[in-house]
Amino acid sequence: MEKLIANFNYVIVVILMMIGLWSMLAQKNLIKKCIGMAIFQTGIILFFISIGAKDNALIPILTEAANHTYPVSDASKVANPLTQILMLTAIVVGVATLGVALALAQKIYQQHSSFDEDEILENERK
Amino acid sequence: MPELPIWQFDILLLILVVLFAVVALSIRNLMGAAVVFGAYSFMMCLIWAGMGAVDVAFTEAAVGAGVSTVFVVSTLYNTSATMRSRPGGLAFKLFIGLVVTIAGAFLLSALPDFPKWGASDSPVNAKVAPYYILNTIADSHVPNVVTSVLADYRGFDTLLETTVVFIACIAIYSILRVDKAKLETGEPAAAPVPRYDPGDSLIVRQASRFMVPFMQLFALYVIAHGHYSPGGGFQGGVILGASLILLAISFDLKSLLRQWSEKTLMLLVAAGVFLYAAVGLACMFMGGDYLDYVFLDSILPGEKDMARSHGILLVEIGVGITVMFSMIAIHINLASNGRFDRGL
Amino acid sequence: MDYLGYILISTGLLFFLGTTIGLLRFPDFYTRMHAAGKGDTLSTVMILIGCICLVPMGLLLALKILLIINFIFIGSPTATHAMMDAGNKAGATPWRKDSK
Repeated sequence: MEKLIANFNYVIVVILMMIGLWSMLAQKNLIKKCIGMAIFQTGIILFFISIGAKDNALIPILTEAANHTYPVSDASKVANPLTQILMLTAIVVGVATLGVALALAQKIYQQHSSFDEDEILENERK
Repeated sequence: MPELPIWQFDILLLILVVLFAVVALSIRNLMGAAVVFGAYSFMMCLIWAGMGAVDVAFTEAAVGAGVSTVFVVSTLYNTSATMRSRPGGLAFKLFIGLVVTIAGAFLLSALPDFPKWGASDSPVNAKVAPYYILNTIADSHVPNVVTSVLADYRGFDTLLETTVVFIACIAIYSILRVDKAKLETGEPAAAPVPRYDPGDSLIVRQASRFMVPFMQLFALYVIAHGHYSPGGGFQGGVILGASLILLAISFDLKSLLRQWSEKTLMLLVAAGVFLYAAVGLACMFMGGDYLDYVFLDSILPGEKDMARSHGILLVEIGVGITVMFSMIAIHINLASNGRFDRGL
Repeated sequence: MDYLGYILISTGLLFFLGTTIGLLRFPDFYTRMHAAGKGDTLSTVMILIGCICLVPMGLLLALKILLIINFIFIGSPTATHAMMDAGNKAGATPWRKDSK
């Protein structure tokens, strides 16, 4: 139980990833698949951010207003900036991917008048 | 127990965020799913702010809870936004549920081997990150470690990320844009009609007319002050794009297109990436490597070794320009089904 | 000064609770939007005024929070109006006591 609380963030990350994965595979609606993809991506971002968090740490903006002393003496009192930088890129790429997925879904809707996978397949077979 | 400053609150938020994800995926009405998805993104933003990732939380609030939700809503705008529930297919869903449960169990079996949540001596925090924390003010005089690493130490990644946003804008444009000439010969299907006419409201128009200049001013502040506070090119660019999307939503799409014509939008999307790449080339012309800002010292005004800080500002401006016009172009394409005549 | 901030934030949370209960219990779209719009704006403004009382004595930070209050005070009721207008045009009918 101690171990569970001490590593709780990884449990939530795996749950979110699996919810997103299930939605991408099993949901029939195209928009729900797109939302599932976005949930998967934010789950991964949560993983990276949570492994960079430190106990009793300050934010990685080294100014007086954020209670830093200059020069910074102890790097273990500052939250890890490297994972945050990677995830900043990931968020922006995620929204770009979501935009392209939604554009494709809208184009499919124009042809088949439905977001539902089964109806689209029936329409195609006619 | 982890000793993050507010770990009880963090655990509560983490449980809530799973609840929001489940609700967003099970609502029948797709518009409602879009709104709950926006709430989910905002909850994620709070979690990340609580864990010390303020820049990432800012970007998620602007991009995830703001612009992403607008994209989903404007996609659904011309459609009948209700999920059809059909009987059967339960066996398939249960089978997929079993598969993802097994996958999740495999991933969770590694749980005891992960470093503790909040440990400061985990392998992630070992070697590269302390170098950035200890040396960024000495090297580039930029207190915001995230901005300086994004735009200076790892400048290539940010250049290619801006290119990815540019490519996404072009891709959406080429998927959805309907040519005027083809419209007259009647080639594509008839323009979908929204379920009701949204009409015009004086209150919304006046309020947005009041708020847009302040939004843009704040966005310029965020871009310029990204060295000393959470902020930077992406966040400022998204807020600028959101201000023009607000104009498009509260007034007419046509009135936005009268001020910012289609050609101007696409040219400016490319101009941002061009600015970023040109700064790198200018460094090469002055005798250094690509994107090595130290060599811009002689042509930039200011003190002697502030060249890296100013170089970071220039590329952030380029990123902001691209992101701003990409967001607007994507919204117009999605909301008007590529016709650029009438939309949200 | 700190205690005033705590009292204001707690009162704001109390109003949020009232808003949520109203959102769940009211019978109709318009009454629910009424509860949500008014309660949200009031609670947010109270919590932010509480935050002004709690910041260290810096005038700049208090001014920034005051600006945030200003924009929330303008934007949130406008959003409520826009939603109610959209609901009206989409055909939501008001609840009448005798139509139950």
